Amino acid sequence: MTKFQKFKQSHWYGLVLLALIAFLFWAIFKILAPQTFGDFDKLQTYLKTALYYAVGGCGLYFICVMGPFDMSVGANIVLSSVLAVNMSERFGYAGLIIAPMISGVLVGLLNGLVYIKLRISSLIVTAGLSLVYEALSIFATNGKEAILAPSYRAFGDYPGNLILALFAFFLCGFILKYTKIGTYTYAIGSNEVVAKNMGVNVDKYKVVAFVLCGFFVGVEAILTISYGTSMTSASNLASMSRNFPPLMGTFFGLAFKKYGHPVIAIVVGEFIIQLLFQGFVALGAPTTVQNIVTGIVLLAIVTLTIKPVKGAVVK
Amino acid sequence: MSEVLLQAKQIDKNFGATHAIDHVTLDFYKGEVHALIGENGSGKSTFTSCLTGIYHKDSGTFTLLGKEIHAKNQVDGNYQGVAIIVQEIGTLSGLTVAENIFLGKENEFTKMNVKNTKAMNRKAQQLLDSYGFNYIKATDIIDKYNFEDRKLIEIVKATHFKPQILVVDETTTALGEKGRKELFKVMRQTKEDGRCVIFISHDLDEVIEQSDNISVLRDGVLIDTVKSSDVNTDDLKKLMVGREMSNNYYRSDYGEEVSGEVVLKGEHLTVPGEIEDFNIELHKGEIIGIGGLSECGMHEVGKALFGASYDREGKVTLSDGTAINDIKTAIDHSIAYASKDRDNESLVINDTIQDNITLPSLEDIKKNHILHAKDEKAFAEKFAKQMSTKMEGVHQFMSALSGGNKQKVVLARWIGKNSDIIILDSPTRGIDVKVKADIYQMMDRMRKNGKSIIMISEEISELLGMADRIIIMKDGHQSGEFKRSADLKDTDLIAKMV
Repeated sequence: MTKFQKFKQSHWYGLVLLALIAFLFWAIFKILAPQTFGDFDKLQTYLKTALYYAVGGCGLYFICVMGPFDMSVGANIVLSSVLAVNMSERFGYAGLIIAPMISGVLVGLLNGLVYIKLRISSLIVTAGLSLVYEALSIFATNGKEAILAPSYRAFGDYPGNLILALFAFFLCGFILKYTKIGTYTYAIGSNEVVAKNMGVNVDKYKVVAFVLCGFFVGVEAILTISYGTSMTSASNLASMSRNFPPLMGTFFGLAFKKYGHPVIAIVVGEFIIQLLFQGFVALGAPTTVQNIVTGIVLLAIVTLTIKPVKGAVVK
Repeated sequence: MSEVLLQAKQIDKNFGATHAIDHVTLDFYKGEVHALIGENGSGKSTFTSCLTGIYHKDSGTFTLLGKEIHAKNQVDGNYQGVAIIVQEIGTLSGLTVAENIFLGKENEFTKMNVKNTKAMNRKAQQLLDSYGFNYIKATDIIDKYNFEDRKLIEIVKATHFKPQILVVDETTTALGEKGRKELFKVMRQTKEDGRCVIFISHDLDEVIEQSDNISVLRDGVLIDTVKSSDVNTDDLKKLMVGREMSNNYYRSDYGEEVSGEVVLKGEHLTVPGEIEDFNIELHKGEIIGIGGLSECGMHEVGKALFGASYDREGKVTLSDGTAINDIKTAIDHSIAYASKDRDNESLVINDTIQDNITLPSLEDIKKNHILHAKDEKAFAEKFAKQMSTKMEGVHQFMSALSGGNKQKVVLARWIGKNSDIIILDSPTRGIDVKVKADIYQMMDRMRKNGKSIIMISEEISELLGMADRIIIMKDGHQSGEFKRSADLKDTDLIAKMV
């Protein structure tokens, strides 16, 4: 085995690959739009957005690795954000932090329990419950826009956002590597029947995955409302579009899982997506073109990274 | 007789209308290898599954060293002193080797809900080293290792804590020479330590060689327990089937002329890393046997001829010149293929017997472009019954069938399709003697009716007994070819394999 082949099988390969992809896109857009793209200040802004999406991506990772899916992330963000605003008015920072975390956990718990009890597709369960969470966000705001008071916006900028995001990333990495939950998440995703035979309480750990997803989305809501400063309640599944930015990071996490650093992959993956989006903005490309190219690039990166085995069943 | 280690009393288990285990009472002794044999569906695996926590028995008791045990699942079974190594793969992708070895036992390395991953990896590596598997790294993701190595990891997982009862359920068919050697070493050690091995295998020679006592199950009922030293394979066959089995269930003809008409031709077939420059001409009404050691590439030949190989080079053509480059063309031109990997490549496990049988024949069953449920059912019933499939009905799910009955469904599917060229990879793997005899008879009938068969097999006796021609492979190449002859010996074939 050559040194390169050995390196390709090592944990470092994935990290180096991610760094190279990020650098490649930065360099391309920097050459094409040197004045409007990619200086240090702008990179910080891209990272700021990437951070809060990545926190949600960490939550979704627990579910996607197992096999189910969560379509209620957007509704969870909306509901948790408006509750964060409401509670910050009463309890200050404590309300801003604790309320969305509790709300996220409860949303996750409900998603998980309904999914387990009804034994129907997680897509249907979470899409259906999204309508409920959206309705709750309307009740919580009386249909008005919820605006976070300027005195509670510390998590909208550095270093507050970075500290909170790092806390979430370390927590996610820790759970995956140093707790039974992490092992069982992968075990259930690999073969539910064998996991069950090994004594893994599959239903329980599926609910735990939904709860963790809800929790991390709750943390994402803190960052979202702090950065965006306001949130409008949603209805008719308008919150759905918020599902996809964190999901893109999760894709990276899944693709780089085999290298053993899913959390780093989620964060860098979100950063790469931001580089793409902002690169197109800097070039003045219309939104439709941005979306098309970003979608294609995302698929290309994930496909090239996974290198699916010919004939392997992909669901 | 030494001391009783495990007592099974009145064990009973039903699956719907099927009485899988019928009040079985059996003793297992210290320092014993106790074989369980029986036809497919006789209840061997169900019995051991109830013992090890994979299934829950309906009634009866297992008493280990005087204490009643109820395993809720495999890991719980481990803690109560019983372990099992299963036939199919029992490790989980995406986890490390260490995580697989200690799956369900993380608490041994956990304090305050925090898992000491380093300690777990260290312990796993120590265990792997102690078994002589030091080339396997505990920290590696298990996907890096092949089927056989993963089986070796399973052996470590199931035996490192020295269970009082070790169940080896049809594991040997999944292993090559190296794996078998390691498994038998572990079985011997278990016996020498005064513990007990329950050994399930369809290879009766292997059963007699490895075990001290043999219990025979038939239709869920315990028929007899005999000493291995007192019986031969014919005695066992008789006990299993309930009547005398002919000593030779293979073809008896020699010197019959095979038709000169070539129905399938493979030229210069190469699949990188698997087979190289393989050539074959299959004649009408001919059975060609392809044999060799497990990793010689023979299993890939079946896929290559069926158009199921990726990156295949070379040509596969029919007598009319039609090129077979994909599975659809193969099926449309009356070629059938039964893979060695029955559960993953031949059957839709989470579907009914009916759907599995009718799947490639739906176009033929249609009437006026419409599929009628009644016709589908009748079609499935006809061919399932023709193969004597043991089932509650064609609505039954595949996952509930035993290995042999699953294979019957695979064969029923292709008989139903009335294919002219049939590629059978390991058609009797994990199959009992009675079903084996049925399959051989069916192949002989097909041959006489002008069907052509390619039989890929790791069993030399099967190749000698059934094939008109035998191609032996070694390291991806054709290393020898033999014509059917009464004088042909297994040693002739082995000489070309190794």
